[in-house]
Amino acid sequence: MNQILDKIFAHATKFIALSVLLIVAWIFTTLFEQSLFSLQASGFDFITETLWAPNLEKFGALPAIYGSVVSTFLAMVLAVPIAIGVAIFLSELAPAKLKSPVGVSIELLAAIPSVIYGMWGLFYFVPIVRDIFGGVGISMLSAGIVLSIMILPFMAAVTRDAMNTTPDILKESAYALGGTKWDVIKDVIIPYAKAGIIGSFILALGRAIGETMAVTFVMGNVHKISTDLTQPATSIPVALANEFTEADTQIYYSSLFELSLLLLVISFTIISIAKFYFLRRKRVGA
Amino acid sequence: MATIVDIQQEKALEVKNFEFTYAGADLPSIKKLNMPIAKNAITALIGPSGCGKTTLLRSFNRIHDLYPGNKYEGEILFNDKNILSSKEDLINLRIKIGMIFQKPTAFPMSIYDNVAYGMRLQGIKNKTELSNRVEKALQDAAIWKEVKDRLKHDANGLSGGQQQRLCIARAIAVEPEVLLFDEPTSALDPISTAGIEELVVELKERVSIIIVTHNMQQAARVSDYTGFMYLGELIELGRTEEMFVSPREKLTEEYITGKFG
Repeated sequence: MNQILDKIFAHATKFIALSVLLIVAWIFTTLFEQSLFSLQASGFDFITETLWAPNLEKFGALPAIYGSVVSTFLAMVLAVPIAIGVAIFLSELAPAKLKSPVGVSIELLAAIPSVIYGMWGLFYFVPIVRDIFGGVGISMLSAGIVLSIMILPFMAAVTRDAMNTTPDILKESAYALGGTKWDVIKDVIIPYAKAGIIGSFILALGRAIGETMAVTFVMGNVHKISTDLTQPATSIPVALANEFTEADTQIYYSSLFELSLLLLVISFTIISIAKFYFLRRKRVGA
Repeated sequence: MATIVDIQQEKALEVKNFEFTYAGADLPSIKKLNMPIAKNAITALIGPSGCGKTTLLRSFNRIHDLYPGNKYEGEILFNDKNILSSKEDLINLRIKIGMIFQKPTAFPMSIYDNVAYGMRLQGIKNKTELSNRVEKALQDAAIWKEVKDRLKHDANGLSGGQQQRLCIARAIAVEPEVLLFDEPTSALDPISTAGIEELVVELKERVSIIIVTHNMQQAARVSDYTGFMYLGELIELGRTEEMFVSPREKLTEEYITGKFG
């Protein structure tokens, strides 16, 4: 009797686990099916053309790809050094009294829904960017900065956790050779936690590149490639969020699906790389 | 009062009325302890868990200072200076008094860089000097033959016993005067343990050694002097060959004959 129950249980959990895979496969095939029309119509031009003019039935996704890449890059450039600084402070330098309140509030920040970053960005942050850097404020730069603020808490918290896994005895060995705090941080803690730190960066990158609400408010959805960061721009998720309601032709609708397929592939790739790093770290630990 | 044998030779360290209290603790973990440490000899610290032997060992290089709130009282004299003074340069102190831990602690870098690390911290950049001293340290730690063809490999690829000898090489590369061993073989197999013990004995020609061990046979095998600690106090310090045969204190006798511990 018990053996039968065990079997039923095993099969039930197997079914649930497989259903997750099924859903992922389902999403993939749906996106692919829906993009088929656009894939056939635009072909490779879809990712090389810069003109996105639905009224002319021209769909070049390059400005959206460019916007996704540049805003994410900006966000990473701004957030990485600050996240490392915060993590070093929290794991090694902060007095015990500060460690836990600051740590907890950073974890809380990581839980703020992205739409709130978007609203706050639009009403309070965009004017500041406009006053300092010129332009209209709604821009690639605003998007990059708001994104960086959004991913910062997550990166700082995970980086801190990775640094905290450094065994005390390893740190003590470096101090015991006459190392200063800085020596120990740079030569022992960061190299030891490297895989975890890079993993957290890549996860944050994945989150930034797919982020929709926070950037939709402050980016402007203008399909134009401009090297001037104070100009409005767009990204793949921003275009998707703005344009589905307007997609009145089959090719427009299908092109948006192709955009989302593109985003999915990019995100998948990034998460796979992150996984690779995390797995490697586990092997080293074992 | 503790029974302390008269040490004829020069002393490496001298502990005087030493008390140590951990952060947040009401009572000291080490109470009014007096103990001479002989130069160029091996002093073993034995005693049941919680007796304060590791706490005492970690006071000699003030590694306790990494954690705020720990309190020292009394004196530990090293080259006629009290190292517990607030003016003591801890970095300098830790170069002169090195430490080996319970588990091998190879840094996440190559074998070569591990051994060169302490020298580089001191600002030694000259490549020939570095590689000469790295080779010498590895030879002195009896591991040169095993690693000379893979100095650039990650040190974490070595076995536990090899890593522990690497850590010893790393510690002696900076030419310390005293080496502290905190149960250095507790994570090692018997063969690696024998290798480390042999090495410790060879090293006493150049450095004074204090070794904390749970293993009384190890203390008997390697040390010249043995200190028996109990409940934060030194009960007896004697010549090892005498103490294991005819301890002067009843508590020592009970401990080494296995009546408690």
